[in-house]
Amino acid sequence: MDFPRILSGNWDTPDSHRLAVAKSRGVYSQLPRALAMAPNDITQIVKDSGLRGRGGAGFPTGMKWSFVPPAEKRQGKSVYLLCNADESEPGTFKDRYCLWLDPHLLFEGMAIASRALDCHVGYIYIRGEFRYIARRLEEALAEAYAAGLLGKNILGSGHDFDLYVHVGAGAYICGEETALISSLEGEKGQPKLKPPFPAVEGAWRSPTIVNNVETLAVVPWLIQHGAAAYKALGTEKSPGTKLFSVSGHVRRPGVYEIPLGIPMMQFINEYAGGLLPGRTLKAVIPGGSSVPVMTPAEVAICSMDYESINTNAGSYLGSGGMIVMDDTTDLVAALTNLLRFYAHESCGQCTPCREGCGWMHQILCRVRDGEASEVDLGTLRDLADNIHSKTICFFGASAAMPVQSFLTKFRSEFLDRVQRRGVGAA
Amino acid sequence: MPKVKVNDIEIEVPAGTNMIEAAKLAGVEIPHYCYHPHLSIAGNCRMCMCEADSPRGPMLEIACNMQAREGLSIKTETDKVKAVRKSVMEFLLVNHPLDCPICDQSGECRLQDYYMDHGQYDSRGVDPKVGKHKRQDIGEHIVLDAERCVECSRCVRFGDEVTGTGDLRLMNRGDHTEIGMFPGTRLEHNYQGNLADICPVGALTNKEFRFQRRVWYLRETDSVCTGCSTGCNTKVCHQEGEVFRTLPRRNDDVNKSWMCDPGREVNSVVGSLTRLLRPTVDGAPVADATAVLAARIKAAGPGRTGFVLGSSASLEANWALLQVVKANCVGARVFRVAGNNAGSIVKSDDFLMDADKNPNTAGVALLADWAGNVGDAEALREADLALLVVLEDDIVSRLSGNPAEAIAYFGTHTNPTAELASIVIPVAHVVEMDATYVNRQGRVQRARRATNPQGEAIPAYQALEKLGAALGRAPGTSMPTATFAAMARTVPRLNGLDYKALGAGGRPLAPAPEPAAAPAAEAK
Repeated sequence: MDFPRILSGNWDTPDSHRLAVAKSRGVYSQLPRALAMAPNDITQIVKDSGLRGRGGAGFPTGMKWSFVPPAEKRQGKSVYLLCNADESEPGTFKDRYCLWLDPHLLFEGMAIASRALDCHVGYIYIRGEFRYIARRLEEALAEAYAAGLLGKNILGSGHDFDLYVHVGAGAYICGEETALISSLEGEKGQPKLKPPFPAVEGAWRSPTIVNNVETLAVVPWLIQHGAAAYKALGTEKSPGTKLFSVSGHVRRPGVYEIPLGIPMMQFINEYAGGLLPGRTLKAVIPGGSSVPVMTPAEVAICSMDYESINTNAGSYLGSGGMIVMDDTTDLVAALTNLLRFYAHESCGQCTPCREGCGWMHQILCRVRDGEASEVDLGTLRDLADNIHSKTICFFGASAAMPVQSFLTKFRSEFLDRVQRRGVGAA
Repeated sequence: MPKVKVNDIEIEVPAGTNMIEAAKLAGVEIPHYCYHPHLSIAGNCRMCMCEADSPRGPMLEIACNMQAREGLSIKTETDKVKAVRKSVMEFLLVNHPLDCPICDQSGECRLQDYYMDHGQYDSRGVDPKVGKHKRQDIGEHIVLDAERCVECSRCVRFGDEVTGTGDLRLMNRGDHTEIGMFPGTRLEHNYQGNLADICPVGALTNKEFRFQRRVWYLRETDSVCTGCSTGCNTKVCHQEGEVFRTLPRRNDDVNKSWMCDPGREVNSVVGSLTRLLRPTVDGAPVADATAVLAARIKAAGPGRTGFVLGSSASLEANWALLQVVKANCVGARVFRVAGNNAGSIVKSDDFLMDADKNPNTAGVALLADWAGNVGDAEALREADLALLVVLEDDIVSRLSGNPAEAIAYFGTHTNPTAELASIVIPVAHVVEMDATYVNRQGRVQRARRATNPQGEAIPAYQALEKLGAALGRAPGTSMPTATFAAMARTVPRLNGLDYKALGAGGRPLAPAPEPAAAPAAEAK
């Protein structure tokens, strides 16, 4: 299939993270043009493109930008642009490639966004485990500063944009935008109550835009080719291309950029190399560990876009972290493993999530080990329902949705385990 | 003011009113743990979830983060809301230890109360509970039991926002989250007792009250703290004549929801060994010391007796003293010793603890201004007196040299003045009588009788009534209601105040005629 590789186009070029190489590949070519544009025109292009946030929620990026109050209503407060590089959703490993292989594309995207947002300070909040990437970002940052592409008076335009790399301590919850802000501020990484929303009152109580790495890295292409060219890719409600990270029982796990909307089976077979020989498909988690799991029948009718996955499978495209599980997978063990993660990562703020995630994990351990009864499955389902959307942030739902969907769509596996008590200890 | 609806009851409240408070005004109680009217909104307990109308239909939202705006309508008793409360209770209790039989919070515990109101399920918790640190001594007055904690973060916010000490923190994550202090640190402020008060469960308990009494045996009486001139509103908790603890009572104009630790200790002196229990004359107990005092006042002759108003004594007692003098002792001189801090370690701050440790300095100033001709400490020192009648204040240490040949002392506790006095008349402590005090803001506040006076003590205004009677004309001050009514009729700045209408929170004095006459300090 022929389509522009907007995000991964430079990844195969050796030393693509070096400024000279990046420039030879066209990175920073759009910055002078964007700096000469009116800020609102940049936002308008992003709006018109239909670009949706690539962190998982899929919120329209241009609309998010337009929530920042105009200068006269900001009471002299600065605007902050935060790049969410706390990629930590199990199954998701796309942003690290953007950061590792094409940091300058992100810098250019952030510099252009800063112009649109009348913002002069930005942070790349990167997860603690990515320290090696942070070091590369710092080196790239130094190169960009030395070339006058960041910092004060960028390329003589009069626009200032200082960019900093901030390394988190390695917490899943810090990928939630308000927890990211708390952590950046030096507080414990816990989500904040909304309202107020970050675009109005975020970091240091100032208007703040938090965008995913992939989202910001698309912006230069939008400036160069325009909104219409972007909309020509993908589907009506899911325009453009997107990075998908595939893991699990496929022959070629990895990160692939594709135009949104291609059939899911086509993606699995053509890009990810299909299933391992002799295996059959059992389940797919399409968008990072927290979205509802899909059955093979659902996979067969879904395409890789926001609306199809939601309508046909009640799941979400999410971050694009696809986990493929074949018939050798013990789904009870898989879910138990997921809940171990959520029980460990719950920030501990809201009652249902704090107490419930650990509780669900305990029950699942017993189910896995053949020490639970059918009553426990009922309790498990209740707990998930009682956590979902009863908390400050989306973490509660993220932990509940796998439980709800596994129990509903693969109920027989769980029933089998509780009916044959004592059998099947992992 | 916007109109909001709570369970279809329409009420008008100021814009921005917290919906938990708005519901209260509509007579609807919304259960909550983390919300506190004098702390920031945390929104973490999830107990106050209600259904709020929205363009997309009813939405479950936390009431504590909703502010009243025109047309807002919430429902607090729908099936969905009830189910959420029940589930929140289940989550809160799944790792909660069964400490109730040995927990001091029992009887005033939100976990217990809300379980009865909103929980009531059969436990599904069969897995081991998460263990946490118990019985941690974290300060002079506070013990922390992390296992009992519901992580509502009220205490964390108190340290961050009220005392500014930032001492307590939520450590760890998930169901291992627990409240704790940084290693090697202790609570170092004078407001520790409030932590036990705001803790909705038994995680933070007050050392002085631990294992002293089950709270359901205690009766509560509204009072005011007499530890300093701030006059924090309090609840005195007592059983069968014994006071077990003093708690702050909410008054947004004076002390919000707080009080200091020294203030809480005031009640501990009620029955202390230093209490004056029986009247004595020249060291020997007598049946009626007021008669002896009357005889000595007469014997001293006109103009040879001085009377000192008491800034620790109630408004009624000071009024009684002035009336006794006016009716019976022509030519007698009246004094006041302002800013008297005898015998106390002066602790003060810019919050609730005032350097002036007398609860009624402003009340004495008010009556002295009205009566006129009241001398100060300097005048007292120079006066040639045979007898000095002192009302409650310990003045001796403030006077260089002996101002009088003999002293008669009306007081609650022994002190240098009492030791020097030839006549001692024991009077009731603030928790033992109905009385009013004027705080540093010029606010008239009522204390109510919680217990009977110790020994043979009676309220000072009644002792002075007896003195007046013995001298010939009783001032008519035995009943505080009538006494206050007489003051309100006579003293211009008290005009219009009614004893009953003082209510729980008191009323401000009318402004002084000359500006800046009474220094007013604002409560933080």
